[in-house]
Amino acid sequence: MSESQDEFEALLQFLYLAPVGLVQTRLDGEVLMINPLCVQLLLPLARDGELGNLFAALQGLAPDLALRVAGFEAGQGKVCEGLLLPVTAGVPGERTARVLSLTLLKLDGQRLMGVLDDVSLQVERERELRHSRSWIQTLLDGITDYALMALDAEGRVASWNPGIGRLTRHAQATLVGQGFADLYPPDDGRRAHAADRLREADACGWSLDEGWLQRADGGRFWASSLIAPLHDSADAPPADRGYSLIVRDISDRRETHEALRRSMTCDQLTGLANRRAFFERAECERQRCMRSGQPLALVLVDADPAQALHDSLGQAADEAVLRHLAAGLSASFRVGDVLARLGGETFVALLPGTSVDDAAGVAARLCRHLASHAVTVDGHAIACTVSAGVAALGPGADDLDALLARAEAALQAAKAPGCSRVCCWQAGLQPHPEPAAAR
Amino acid sequence: MEKPVLETATLAFHDTGLLPQLQAAPDDVLDALNFGVIGFDTDGVVRRYNAWESRAAGLSLPRVIGHALFTVVAPCMNNFMVAQRFEDAAAVGEPLDAVIDYVLTLRMRPVKVKLRLLAQPGQAMRYVLVERPS
Repeated sequence: MSESQDEFEALLQFLYLAPVGLVQTRLDGEVLMINPLCVQLLLPLARDGELGNLFAALQGLAPDLALRVAGFEAGQGKVCEGLLLPVTAGVPGERTARVLSLTLLKLDGQRLMGVLDDVSLQVERERELRHSRSWIQTLLDGITDYALMALDAEGRVASWNPGIGRLTRHAQATLVGQGFADLYPPDDGRRAHAADRLREADACGWSLDEGWLQRADGGRFWASSLIAPLHDSADAPPADRGYSLIVRDISDRRETHEALRRSMTCDQLTGLANRRAFFERAECERQRCMRSGQPLALVLVDADPAQALHDSLGQAADEAVLRHLAAGLSASFRVGDVLARLGGETFVALLPGTSVDDAAGVAARLCRHLASHAVTVDGHAIACTVSAGVAALGPGADDLDALLARAEAALQAAKAPGCSRVCCWQAGLQPHPEPAAAR
Repeated sequence: MEKPVLETATLAFHDTGLLPQLQAAPDDVLDALNFGVIGFDTDGVVRRYNAWESRAAGLSLPRVIGHALFTVVAPCMNNFMVAQRFEDAAAVGEPLDAVIDYVLTLRMRPVKVKLRLLAQPGQAMRYVLVERPS
């Protein structure tokens, strides 16, 4: 064998054995070259085992990739870096969530390079490390203004120092003895969940929040607040229990934080939460409902098959329809519900404190809303309808993956007979197994 | 005198009773086939690798023979669809003969293929056959 042939083989094997997924595509996602590990990671995700297009293969995890690439104006550079794509939710502390990480580089006017990796273990470790990190951050960041206060077992402010006065503009008399929830603006939903933060601090060792707080004079500031238990264990008697609350004014970080937060947690097309943000919020709500004993319902919504007219209008119509569906969701569901775009044409709503029947009622409202409001593209009115599957947290489904599986089974049952239908999960409904190559 | 023409029945991808025939076939017969043949032992080490597969993957025999199939030679097959099926069949002592749709990364291009997985309890050698639809 010639030397160059030998070198060529060595290079081939180098790529065959690379421990990360590598793929090169055209700007529209068409795969030009792909290494074995990348196929290994994508094959179970891709519909019908189709790996001709990277964006299509990742439709179920990151449906807005094509839009991100199209919106990337520079001639070359990183379109996204370390974008986390949760495949399964897992159960924190019990079953590791399966998470992939995608980095997309624009090489030039024709080609993209992708790096795909399974980062499930790293994400798990990161979650456990965030506790110590948040404390270190509190101490080491250039803190311009912060307040440290002690809370009693019920979350009432129990101590006073000038720093608290400076930050909150409260006098000792007006804040000591009040619940810390008084620091939230009056119309803020977090007021109602203040006790949950104490429970979260007991369970996880800390509770970190970022958002608006209100001063005594009514002015708002963007703050980071960290609550940690001062007692050794949650079993300590009430007299011995207390918490520390550290509030920092981080107004200067807000703009960058907001932009980054939106980019990482929102679906670029519809503005709804993306898959990753949904999994994080949903896990919080699930834990909250498990603790409080409240019901938790999940509605999985899928667009009904498109009509012929819609097909002929192309991509602009697809995007308009998806935005229209997202708007319909926002209009039909309620303020506390968590809405997200889960995959290509699949949306999800999580309804805390809601039973299956009530959730089905809201889903029916969505179907009626969409049936009576068409979207107009290029002068054509396109009627789009959805079908919905409803399931609730309960025996046999006490984690997110199981809940989603039940909702999926109910959704398939809803789709079977026709359009614009809602179906609630019942025992005996199983999701149809996908064909072998697509698993 | 004319040499008698030897009739060698060419083995085909979908033949029944293929495993013992592959086992018995010498290397030059395997090299004449129009589908890929990878034979590996119970430790997963590649022992047989025919010319078709070598050409398709771009790997010469020394890089392959004596190396672990599912970690070194064909890592894209190291999952529940291929590697796991051999393990499962061996664990319950049952024969394996399955044809599946798959995607290989031959020379870093995604190639849709059909794989045939062949194993028999008691037989030292297992086979993965690779057919490229024409």
